[in-house]
Amino acid sequence: MNQSAVLLEYVTRAYPGGVRAVDGVNLKIALGEWVSLMGPSGSGKTTLLNLLDGLDRPTDGCVHVMGQNLLQLDVDEAATFRRENVGLIFQQFHLVSYLTAVENVMLAQYYHSMVDKQEALLALERVQLADRAHHLPSQLSGGEQQRVCIARALINDPKIILADEPTGNLDEDNADRVVKIFQRLHREGRTLVIATHDPDLGRLAQRIVCLRHGQIVEECSPDGSDAAPRATGAGASHDRDVMHVTAS
Amino acid sequence: MFFRMLIESFVRRRSRKLLAVAAVWIGLSLVIGLLALGLDVGDKLNREMRSFGANIQLQPAEAAVDVRVGGYELVAPGRTVYLDEADLPRLKQIFWRNNILAFAPRLTTQARLAGRSVPLVGTWFNHHVLLEDADPFVTGAAEVFPYWQARGAWPMNPESCLVGAALAQELDLGPGDRVELTTDQRSTSVRIVGVLTSGKDEDEAIVAPLSVVQRLAGLPGKVAEVQISALTTPENKLAERYGRDPQSLTPAEYERWVCTPYPGSVAADIQNAVPGSSARVVRRVAETQGAVLGRIDGLMLLLGIFVLIASTLSIMGVLSSAVLERRGEVALLQAVGAHRADVLRLFLTEAVAIGLAGGVLAALTGQVLGGWLLRVIFDSASEPHGVLLILAPLLGLLIAVAASVPPVWRTVHQQAARLLRGV
Ligand SMILES: Nc1ncnc2c1ncn2[C@@H]1O[C@H](COP(=O)(O)OP(=O)(O)OP(=O)(O)O)[C@@H](O)[C@H]1O
Ligand SMILES: [Mg+2]
Repeated sequence: MNQSAVLLEYVTRAYPGGVRAVDGVNLKIALGEWVSLMGPSGSGKTTLLNLLDGLDRPTDGCVHVMGQNLLQLDVDEAATFRRENVGLIFQQFHLVSYLTAVENVMLAQYYHSMVDKQEALLALERVQLADRAHHLPSQLSGGEQQRVCIARALINDPKIILADEPTGNLDEDNADRVVKIFQRLHREGRTLVIATHDPDLGRLAQRIVCLRHGQIVEECSPDGSDAAPRATGAGASHDRDVMHVTAS
Repeated sequence: MFFRMLIESFVRRRSRKLLAVAAVWIGLSLVIGLLALGLDVGDKLNREMRSFGANIQLQPAEAAVDVRVGGYELVAPGRTVYLDEADLPRLKQIFWRNNILAFAPRLTTQARLAGRSVPLVGTWFNHHVLLEDADPFVTGAAEVFPYWQARGAWPMNPESCLVGAALAQELDLGPGDRVELTTDQRSTSVRIVGVLTSGKDEDEAIVAPLSVVQRLAGLPGKVAEVQISALTTPENKLAERYGRDPQSLTPAEYERWVCTPYPGSVAADIQNAVPGSSARVVRRVAETQGAVLGRIDGLMLLLGIFVLIASTLSIMGVLSSAVLERRGEVALLQAVGAHRADVLRLFLTEAVAIGLAGGVLAALTGQVLGGWLLRVIFDSASEPHGVLLILAPLLGLLIAVAASVPPVWRTVHQQAARLLRGV
């Protein structure tokens, strides 16, 4: 169990009113594995990611992440767990509105350990945002905010990256850059769980986990875009070898 | 980083913060204004309440105590003692001279009028008390007894007098009539200029300028008693203990007693100043004033509490909705690793800053407001109160903290995931 980054057992997240956004999910993700979460809108991807980062709790089942039973953590312990292990990339960016791009990155440093402005600026440079470092979120485009969010998620060298639609707002060039970052992180041995509608990004993972109505299904049904690649509920994806090649 | 966040939060969300500060400012200004008024109102009311009449009575020392031993009066009958009118200016030279608002001497005798014996009361009307190093002090019966009503005019010279309302009706006298007053010593003719209603025994008497009565009674320069209207502080425990046993006070307490214008300490001061006199607190009047003042103070306190509650609720409404608006931010801070205490510290510090800023502003405008109310109600000026300069920021701080902390506390315990979704 210690080798797995994520271990979900019969995890259900039901909302009042009866919606089971995640419904009896069993999932094991190995350390260093790159997994894509795919599925149509409303299938429970965001909900599942929030169960992995401890911002939400399952109504049923067990959640272990990086060897930690998240159900045993209180609010503060979960925050500590996040800042020490998890890099979070939000679907809706979630930047502090009155802090500039670089200050938003420094915020994550602050709660993690120490503020280092040079390093924060470097992180923004890596996502091509050096010239926007001192802009407020309201002065940034959606794609730029997305990249600030990514820079913030990676600033503390997290062991596991939980990304929700990280390329959703990016043009091809920027999406490519982000993909390269993910590939580098994967090479460095980080675990990646990336929820996405983007088949190109999804395909890069070693494994694609498909969700529908909160349940893991064999086949990723097309969700309005190109046909999704074949998915497997568990085991290696056809990309694994490729990834190993890039990793070495 | 913490201060950076704080500063940015204030600088980049200026209008929000200004709104919050303004809410504290305006709400507390009302409270402070009322408190400022409440602090002054006692003093002002005390002055207004002179209409209850004299509260200190000055008599000759020997007349003040009716010492009877086995039915015999120690002071021989017929040998009545008097005070000297010439000593009275000393009342405006004592330590508490500014608290002496008015005084009027009194000398009573019997005179014959139209074949019957009527009481003849002598007192001052619009009398100029000459002082060594100050302007003359104008006082008299009209000032000491504001409830005296004269239909017609007040006597302004030794040839005029008032007739008590009851006597006027009995003898069918009125303004303009001339009467002949006769005593054993002599007689004089005076003109009635007004009909007096006092509600007391003066209604049955002729009331004339003191000099007229002194002449008719053969007692030049003498007065039987002096009624004094003094500005005093309602008696408290200390004054009561002194009243029961002056020896029971420690030197420090005695010092405090002397330096507070209790009716007793002002009376003692007067008695020391006028030779052969005995000053007595007219209990009923002094106590009524104390009781009424106590009730007014209670009323102001109640009003203050109501306004405080109302203001607090509205301030809290503004401040807590400003916090609730930022629930997403709270969840985000927790998402990037902030503990509950970290979030709380940030919001608490902001609340303290807002509360203090609003409170300081309110301390200033509240005093102005209180001064304005005082001017409108009592037509007099007020002085700033140091207490309020401290109380207002303190209140602002308390209210702001009380308004901000509970919503933050509730928010940090909510499902951050749900908040990040946009509630
Ligand atoms: N607080 C809530 N109460 C009730 N239902 C909820 C709540 N939050 C989410 N849901 C429902 O849970 C389901 C899963 O939502 P989720 O956001 O996880 O989907 P998703 O796969 O991330 O979709 P998308 O691709 O559009 O982001 C949806 O049907 C949604 O309506
Ligand atoms: Mg989603």
